[in-house]
Amino acid sequence: MSDDVRPYELLKTILQLSNSSLSLESKLDRMLQAIAQTLQSDRCLFLKPEVIRNAGMLSRIVSEKKPFWIENGSSLPRENILPEEEHLISSSFACLPLDDETSCQGILYIGFQRNRRFSPEEIDLLHLISMAMAGMIRKTHFPSLSEQTRFELTALRELGRVVTSTLKLEDLLQLILVTGSRILKAKGGVLRLMDRNTGELKVNCQLGDYDQIPFDAKIARRVLLTRKPFSLQQPGKGLPFASVVCAPLISQGNSFGSLSFYDLEANPSTFSEEISQLLLTTVNQISSSIDNALSHYEISDLARRQEIRARRLSTLWELNKALLTTVNLDRMIELTLTAITIGDGLRFNRAMLFLLNEENQTLYGTMAVGPDSAEEAGRIWNSLSAKQGSPFEMILALQPTSEENSLLNSAIKRMRIPLSQDQCILSRTILEGRPFNIQLPTLEEKGPESSCGRSCQLGSGVGCQVAQQLSHDPKAYAFATVPLWGKGKIIGMILVDNLYNKNPITAEDLHFLSMFANQAGLAIENTILYRNIEEVNKELKEAQALLVHREKMAALGELSNTIAHEIRNPLVSIGGFARRLYRALPAEMPENKYAQTIMVEVGRLERILNNILQYTRDDSIVHEACDLRGILDDGLSMLADELDDGRITIARTFDEQLPRVMGDRQGLKQAFFNLFTNACQAMQEKGTLSIRAHPFSRNGTSFVRVEVKDTGKGIAPENLHNIFNPFFSARESGLGLGLPIVHKIVTSHGGQIEVDNHPGEGTAFIITLPTHPGRHPSVGLHPKAG
Amino acid sequence: MKKILVVDDEENIRFLYKEELEDEGFTVELAKNGEEALEKFNVFRPDLITLDIKMPGMNGIEVLKRIREQERNLPIILCSAYGEYKQDLATWASDAYVVKCADLTELKETIRRLLKL
Repeated sequence: MSDDVRPYELLKTILQLSNSSLSLESKLDRMLQAIAQTLQSDRCLFLKPEVIRNAGMLSRIVSEKKPFWIENGSSLPRENILPEEEHLISSSFACLPLDDETSCQGILYIGFQRNRRFSPEEIDLLHLISMAMAGMIRKTHFPSLSEQTRFELTALRELGRVVTSTLKLEDLLQLILVTGSRILKAKGGVLRLMDRNTGELKVNCQLGDYDQIPFDAKIARRVLLTRKPFSLQQPGKGLPFASVVCAPLISQGNSFGSLSFYDLEANPSTFSEEISQLLLTTVNQISSSIDNALSHYEISDLARRQEIRARRLSTLWELNKALLTTVNLDRMIELTLTAITIGDGLRFNRAMLFLLNEENQTLYGTMAVGPDSAEEAGRIWNSLSAKQGSPFEMILALQPTSEENSLLNSAIKRMRIPLSQDQCILSRTILEGRPFNIQLPTLEEKGPESSCGRSCQLGSGVGCQVAQQLSHDPKAYAFATVPLWGKGKIIGMILVDNLYNKNPITAEDLHFLSMFANQAGLAIENTILYRNIEEVNKELKEAQALLVHREKMAALGELSNTIAHEIRNPLVSIGGFARRLYRALPAEMPENKYAQTIMVEVGRLERILNNILQYTRDDSIVHEACDLRGILDDGLSMLADELDDGRITIARTFDEQLPRVMGDRQGLKQAFFNLFTNACQAMQEKGTLSIRAHPFSRNGTSFVRVEVKDTGKGIAPENLHNIFNPFFSARESGLGLGLPIVHKIVTSHGGQIEVDNHPGEGTAFIITLPTHPGRHPSVGLHPKAG
Repeated sequence: MKKILVVDDEENIRFLYKEELEDEGFTVELAKNGEEALEKFNVFRPDLITLDIKMPGMNGIEVLKRIREQERNLPIILCSAYGEYKQDLATWASDAYVVKCADLTELKETIRRLLKL
């Protein structure tokens, strides 16, 4: 063997092969052959890095980067040798790591069947060869490595473009899945996101049917919890896929979803490492962009909702401003209902208000606002949309009178719902103090059970009629109700519906309506209280005026009383002696006439006195059972002076069986006397005074009726309403107290006085007095009453 | 001839009543106050008494009570310018209550009725 030539030949061969354009396998093959031939070895092998385990002889070679030169294989200690490596142990062998100071490309093994020694030149040679081979292998890998890297970069760039192209969540997820599948050369995949509220891992999008496989859900769950990727190749066991990789979507340290790809077209030998690596890189890139998109989505949703709320609050403020403009109840209710129905307000089609009457526990329909038909609705909306203005101005601008003739309004005003009808939703709103939102029943549902059996939405006999009135089909009537709260108690309720545009009433709508209703309830209660206060104030003022009047009268009465009594005694003397003179003096003498004049005038004075005393008397006089016939006769007898000249005829018709009346004898006598006097004075020339007394009954109660009729000139019609007012006198003389006294006496006996006046023909006064209960006149003749 | 005792603090009223009642055929005795009324009652022994209510000293009601204690069946007429004394239950103790009037017809009729004439 020529030691100078052969090593040189070998090196030349190796270098030539190294730079040739043959495939890596061919090159290695030929190199190994050349080495074997030159060294006359029995076996020459290239051991790939993949077969090198973590323990054992080969791994030691790799890690120490030092070759093994074994000249006597049998004497090698066996404990560091793995069973797989046994076959490498021959009599002599060399193992050289193919290391080019960057990485280990494998191991060159040269084995001999016989023992042999390695000369220093051979060691050097092989060392050089191993370096050359290592370099060659690495260079060969460059393209494919860089190829792969380039491929990865391209894919990532594309993916990067995709994820920044849109923030629309659905589009984004779909794009990611499709692009990822393409990058990984997978047939399909599943993207799942965790629902932040429920923690459930939901399928957001899929490519192919892989999401139907139950195993997919399990993989996803595992990956989510462990936060580590998972891959499986050729699982067998009847699973309908060939390969799968799955990676968690992680953002800010938390996993929020999973991305899995199925049936990937990868080189089976490099499947695990390559794919996992690529997947992880992909997933890292996209995780944060998905997270961004999700946040963006949530934020814009939140912003939208906040905007709606802000708008509604501002509307609420406007509505409340409108409510503050009035204290009139009707106007207040009208404003409330208008605010609920106009477009810039709460936008319901129709609104109806019911107020609760506490005493009889009944809901009374009070007012309704809303079109009567779909055509009218359309007209109103068209005209309103043309108008401009803040809700405040719009509400105030709507004409009040336009609702007067509305059919709905008339229908509502007639409605009465007793709270005892506790199945009716309207009653329940009051009784339970909460809003109700009754939606259209779907086809499957039957609708709420109700006692009226017609399964109408309002649920009761009374409600049934209400539903009939309010909607055309009580079975399919969608509406909502809210209670109106005053201070601590419910004062009524509002019912709203969207009969014409059929918009469903959402929980948010109802919430907003409740907010407004609370304000409206307080405002309405305030106007009611205000009105009550006004009334009470008026009553108080009237009572005060009456009190002052009474006190004046009382003072006056007391004064009059005292004066009258003081005057009476002297009058008795004057009148009494004048009478004696009149009787004593002959009629021819003028002195007789003088005396008579004195008498008459005194009589006049006495009558005035009596009237005053009667009028200012205390009403608490003693009543006894009186026989009216005697009293009337007494009254007549006191007329003696008037009747003297005979121009007046008396027609007296008293019923035989006149029931007794409970009363004040003196007062009654005074009253009738006044009537008789008036009658006589009305008949200046001839006339008839007719007095009738008879029993009378009405509604089972028995009365006595006395009629005093004259044939005088009657009362002037314009004075008729004043005749019972004290101190009003159409006559020239007198205080005008006569008829007021009669009125006072009759009413204090619980009776009635009526006037039948015919100017020019005469006047009749009809007195009706209640009889004394339990006392009936005895049949037969009465002794003359005293 | 029946005897009537007229009790009144007004002189002219006493005068008038005496004239009128004597014309009717009665014997009349006068008293101007409660004490005198009681004295005269014991001495004169009238068949009927007319009593004014409002008098100085003892008022008519008091006199009425005193006399009733002695004589239960004697007719007594309360004669007054005041209407409201009707409320005083003591007035029921009298046989009649007449409001004073210039026309004495009612008084005379009452006297006749009570004396059953």
